[in-house]
Amino acid sequence: MSVAPPMKVDGVLSANNLNLLVGDFGDLEVVARLLQRVLGNVKLLGYKLHNGEVRFGEVDDVSEVPTNVADVQRPGHYRLTPGYRFRHSFSSPKAFLLPPEHTILTTSPNYGVVEYDSSPECGVVFFGVKPCDRKAVEILDRVIYGKNPVYTKRRDAVRAIVIEECLEPGETCFCSAVNAGPTVSTGFDLAYARLHKDLYIFKYGSPLGERVLSRARLRRAEESHVKEYAEMVGKAVSTMNARVPNIMDVQKALNEEINDRRFWEEVTSKCVGCGNCNYVCPTCFCIEVEDVVEGDRSRRVGIWAGCRTYTYGLVAGGHFRRELYTRYRHFVLHKFLFYPKQVGDVGCVGCGRCSTWCPLGLDLKDVLKHLTEVKTR
Amino acid sequence: MANPFKFRKAAVIDKVGEAPGVYTYTIKYDEVLEASPGQFNMLYVYGLGEVPISLSNIPTIKNGQTIIQHTVRVVGAVTRAIVSRLEIGSFVGVRGPYGNGWPLRDVEGRDIVIIGGGIGMAPLRPVIKYIERYRGKFGRVNILLGARTPRDLLYKYELDSYSTIPNTKLVLSSDTPAEGWEHHVGFVTDLIDGVDVDVRNAVAFVCGPEVMMRVSTRKLLGRGFRKDDLYLSLERRMRCGVGVCGTCQFGHYFVCKDGPVFRYSDIEEYLLVEEI
Repeated sequence: MSVAPPMKVDGVLSANNLNLLVGDFGDLEVVARLLQRVLGNVKLLGYKLHNGEVRFGEVDDVSEVPTNVADVQRPGHYRLTPGYRFRHSFSSPKAFLLPPEHTILTTSPNYGVVEYDSSPECGVVFFGVKPCDRKAVEILDRVIYGKNPVYTKRRDAVRAIVIEECLEPGETCFCSAVNAGPTVSTGFDLAYARLHKDLYIFKYGSPLGERVLSRARLRRAEESHVKEYAEMVGKAVSTMNARVPNIMDVQKALNEEINDRRFWEEVTSKCVGCGNCNYVCPTCFCIEVEDVVEGDRSRRVGIWAGCRTYTYGLVAGGHFRRELYTRYRHFVLHKFLFYPKQVGDVGCVGCGRCSTWCPLGLDLKDVLKHLTEVKTR
Repeated sequence: MANPFKFRKAAVIDKVGEAPGVYTYTIKYDEVLEASPGQFNMLYVYGLGEVPISLSNIPTIKNGQTIIQHTVRVVGAVTRAIVSRLEIGSFVGVRGPYGNGWPLRDVEGRDIVIIGGGIGMAPLRPVIKYIERYRGKFGRVNILLGARTPRDLLYKYELDSYSTIPNTKLVLSSDTPAEGWEHHVGFVTDLIDGVDVDVRNAVAFVCGPEVMMRVSTRKLLGRGFRKDDLYLSLERRMRCGVGVCGTCQFGHYFVCKDGPVFRYSDIEEYLLVEEI
């Protein structure tokens, strides 16, 4: 498991700012090659542009990384357009760590267990993933690492994490409000940010990252670069922080509104219970386990289960969450009230995917705002 | 890491009909595995899936083998498959035990009220067996058991023996009247009025339908029980038993690993929220 040593955070900038380096896209390619050389047999996994669509998957060549597109995200809306500020797609590292369908084990009719080895065939590097993605992996680690065998083996295969920081947030983003971005200070090996189209700022977050960057022979960042970087980060943070209420206020309001059926029915009146928000959420981990019989074997398969869908809480003898509003409420309560009690941190990373990929454009930010408004009414 | 979904192959050595659609299975496997009253196992039927079922007896461990009992009521696909397919000599997959059981070690010296409704009698049966075995460790015991009809009561063949446990009162109820039924007609919760333990030094263990547990706690609190002396065993949709599938969440708790037995004072706020 790749864990970077903790570093002190100072304001929006991490303590290793003195080591900021600059380069261009060619240097990013060099960094990727060096990383692969140092680590040996590893695959790069990251956002990949293919046939006009970006998804998280295996990157054969750094040129496949979406460097020449920007995403336009609004509630219920996602388009790619020429540009260079790419944030994320519907899929995230979760698609690798806990695939939508994954075999947990295989059984035989006489109740034998044919152990399923879910280890990937080689190590992987998360390349160009976002600060929100990194935070999401940290949260998933705390919930299911060492407990879910599929997640654990796949997580152990991650040899390095390379982050692309976001200097201009997307319209549905609010990572800074939940301390998930837009920059990183811990839990990564290497990070880069695109100051301009072809001006990259590099920094390291682990001895491995330091080793790679020192070999890449990058220029030390000039004072003007550092200043511009800090200004862009500061602007991104203030833009995003203004989009949602203070999270402590949200938590207070949730405690007070937990049983206000009218409020929840009102804010979820657009929800159709499709579960898209759950599937695109990088921290949603709930699974259904089903048997798939093939010949004389049965595979026990873990399948993503969304708390917004009707079957969540459905049992043969009844239903524990029959009302749609209670399932929507669980999503919000879990992210903001229950994760802190379960793993010590808010479970939302502010990526905005649940709003972007909601077919009805139901915006979590609006719900959070309404919550705190109801409270002050 | 070891795969926690790996199960043991177990053989059915006895099957007893308890009530319409309810059977108690005695199963055996070649491994020593302790379990405490109130814990549950995941039972696996090949090709269909698993169900969480509480242990309905204290495991017997002999010659490296463990014998356990599970009382299964037909409700869905897997339980129907268990009841219709599993006979003496059949095999079943078992993994567990999981969860926190009744805090029997912590309540030594105290009076105990046991309240079971319907299939909720199953996880309480090992409590009764435990008290019977270590009778000296506990004070006065009241056992209140009820079901929809007298036929739906479980363990009818041994209920009489519960009232012969020293310093123990057994009271039965049936929701509906029936020919020859000489006990209470009404809800099992009605029986709480007649509880004759020292409430200041008593704990209550309750398992049954959730509405029955709500009424029980209200009445027990009315009788002077303290909130942290009431224990309830909850059930939820459950797929893993080890806190990774997420589907048994009840507030911030995972019923499988934080429960299924909870202290009332720990879950009170959530019990008041509809479908939390």
